[in-house]
Amino acid sequence: MTAADRQALEEQIYAYVGRAIGQPKKSMDDVNVAMIRQWAEVMGDESSIYFDQQRASTTAKGGIIAPPSMLQVWSMEGYPMAASPAVDEQRALHQIFDSFGFTGVLGTNTSTEMYRDLRPGDSVTSQTTIDTISEQKATARGIGYFIETVTVFTDQHGEAVGRQVFRVLKFIPNESNGQGAQDSTEQSGTPAPPVRIPSPRGQDNGWWWQAVDAGKVLIQRCKSCSTLRHPPRPMCGQCQSVEWDSIESALAGEVYSFTTLYHPKVPGYHYPLCCAVIELAEGTRLVANIVGIDHDAVTIGMKVQGKVEQVDEKTMLPQFYPA
Amino acid sequence: MTVNISNKAAIVGVANTEFSKNSGRSELQLAAEVVAAALADAGLKPGDVDGMSTFAMDTSDEIEVARAVGIGDLSFYSRVPHGGGAATGLVHQAAMAVATGMAKCVVIYRGLNGRSGHRFSAGVSGEITTSDSIHWGWYMPYGLLTPASWVAMCTQRYMHLGNCTKDSLFEVAYTMRQHAATNPQALFYGQPFDRQEYDAQKKVVDPFQLYDCCLESDGASAVVITSVERAKHLRQPGVVIRGVAQGAAANMESMTSFYEGEIATTQPMDIAAKQVYAQSGLSPEHVDSAVFYDAFSSTVLFQLESWGFCERFGAHDFVLDGSLRLDGRLPTNTNGGQLSEAYIHGVNGIVEAARLVRGGSVNQPNKEINHVLVTSGVGVPTGGAILGTMDTL
Amino acid sequence: MSSETLNFEAVQIGDQLAPREVPITAALVVGGAVASRDFTPVHHDRKAAQQAGLPDVFMNILTSNGLVGSYVTNWAGPDSTTKKIDLKLGSPNLPGFVMTISGEVVAKDDALGTVEIAVLGENNVWGMHMQAKVQIELPRSA
Repeated sequence: MTAADRQALEEQIYAYVGRAIGQPKKSMDDVNVAMIRQWAEVMGDESSIYFDQQRASTTAKGGIIAPPSMLQVWSMEGYPMAASPAVDEQRALHQIFDSFGFTGVLGTNTSTEMYRDLRPGDSVTSQTTIDTISEQKATARGIGYFIETVTVFTDQHGEAVGRQVFRVLKFIPNESNGQGAQDSTEQSGTPAPPVRIPSPRGQDNGWWWQAVDAGKVLIQRCKSCSTLRHPPRPMCGQCQSVEWDSIESALAGEVYSFTTLYHPKVPGYHYPLCCAVIELAEGTRLVANIVGIDHDAVTIGMKVQGKVEQVDEKTMLPQFYPA
Repeated sequence: MTVNISNKAAIVGVANTEFSKNSGRSELQLAAEVVAAALADAGLKPGDVDGMSTFAMDTSDEIEVARAVGIGDLSFYSRVPHGGGAATGLVHQAAMAVATGMAKCVVIYRGLNGRSGHRFSAGVSGEITTSDSIHWGWYMPYGLLTPASWVAMCTQRYMHLGNCTKDSLFEVAYTMRQHAATNPQALFYGQPFDRQEYDAQKKVVDPFQLYDCCLESDGASAVVITSVERAKHLRQPGVVIRGVAQGAAANMESMTSFYEGEIATTQPMDIAAKQVYAQSGLSPEHVDSAVFYDAFSSTVLFQLESWGFCERFGAHDFVLDGSLRLDGRLPTNTNGGQLSEAYIHGVNGIVEAARLVRGGSVNQPNKEINHVLVTSGVGVPTGGAILGTMDTL
Repeated sequence: MSSETLNFEAVQIGDQLAPREVPITAALVVGGAVASRDFTPVHHDRKAAQQAGLPDVFMNILTSNGLVGSYVTNWAGPDSTTKKIDLKLGSPNLPGFVMTISGEVVAKDDALGTVEIAVLGENNVWGMHMQAKVQIELPRSA
């Protein structure tokens, strides 16, 4: 977007900061057991205090309460949202963003404080204010702005019962970064669980990975001078021969160096993830994972024994265990 | 070496754009802006330029930048591969071109949206199949995907063999941040940290926590290089290229040289250092200040040893003596480095090294600076340069 | 007082909550949206979700919040009082995924009698769905 567009957008949006999005709204239903029960069923709430009057009365609560995380529910608009949501200042603000190409919207954070338990018969009124709009940010989703609204919840006596900060990102969708587009499986609509990133297989390395698929780790050997080499390459660096065969490694070795990975978490891998350079008894080194031991207990020089294992739906890999 | 390019070429102009997390403009625009600014700093016109060099990885073509800036005919252009390993390689290209008369005035540049665009921390994915991705194929299935993880593998062994602990990693990261805290251009301006804050950061990959890892940033840096003769008549005090060299080691891989010999070293940097000292006739005691490529805290330790400021595995004690601080033996990364100023692939380091020689660093050490060392990325084929004042000729 | 409730004194920093596996089904996504009176089309209409760039309907924030709430109160027991839920959202939850919720006690406030639980919900496809910090007041032992 041009500097002029950005200025025009920012002039309009920042004018919304501090505005209430509309009049205080009284919940259409008072806090009631039917809605609580439906909520508790879906959420897997096991506590009887949410729907069993008799058992609830034996607890410190002395009777049924609404699940605390339900607070926002009492402010929701309900079925009209599906087709013709009410136009308020918040939607007007979003429409300004949309008109400048910031069509993406993503809830990123909520922070909900509960000042007291809500009980059947309580009546909840909510009022939402547009509290802050950030400066323009570059996010993983695309360029955008964070909008924070604050909703204050009051009861039938005008006493505050809770407060919620809701943070959304309005952004220009990043074409190359659409998670859904990238991972979706057209037929089922459900992405498959991710697997590890496979090695590309070319003429010089494909044979090695095919052997791994069959459960073996091979080491390339020069036919002319018998020097072993890994990773594979087409020519012997000792004698320049392009003739080679291979031997199968017994996968006995020791840890030459290792590191444990925590961040970023790439889908398909389990963290903390321990990777090591293994010095094999045959004399060559191999990078592989160390498993079957707490990562903090791994040491350089530790003896390890490898085996080729299936690590996910599609991947066979050598994995090393303490010997 | 039959041809010595030492003392033939000089840096006469430098510039950075602002550094940010979101530049809001294209990498080409960043490159054009910074090249124009470096020329303005030198007091030269675009038409004076006849050579250009950048990273193989840069997305802005030399002739596109030339066209944007209004640079005329070019007689020399080149690119240097291996990511951050290219940084001083650009100086190397320019100095060779000027020394041999292939070009009279060379602009080197690097511009990237390293935060709002492609982030290196995202790791390799192998989505594009090339000979390079077959190489990454030896690591991807195991999850060894990121620059941090590759450098960590060497660092863990380094720490195992030497007496190095997190104390010296902290000292490196802490000192860089102290320098950034007083550099208004730095992304971490005004934000020093203490040991408690450092220790509280999330683990990235052992032994690195967040503050051991460089920034990801948007921005660009450029440097103008011409002959020392011409440098005598330009606006800024010239910065002589006393020595510059590249190095790749036998049997190395890009970032993952795990298979032969000791991996707790930086052999390519050893090779570059030996050449630079030979070319320039200088030795470590002549170097007054340094800008090391600090993608990760430990890489500064490796390089101190490669360049002979201490014995092998002596870097831990060397930095704990406060040597990298402004009042230390070797004030280092006075701009805040890539850990805390910005990550412009080391070219912002060349800008800072030139400023140190000119006497214009925002954190100029309180001593005479005649020679400054500046280096390229570690773990890849790399390089380094020693820059000096015109008085040192 | 209910015997099912944990006492403040019995809970220590570092205590782990038993993980809970939540299969994400269309019933959970749509049922959660309806139970929270959230009729935004992306939570019940697959076409609307696809227009928003996701392959299927996805879980709404109120349901994520509710799952955090129930996870913690199921652990703490009926006499506990949830004071605050800070929720940070990551990748969406879609039908067919399995989310594993885990939690750890990360702080105790002796004056207030509250403990803080860090909750993590990770699905098996896209990783982090939600991270939460929950402050919950526990009764003291008599």
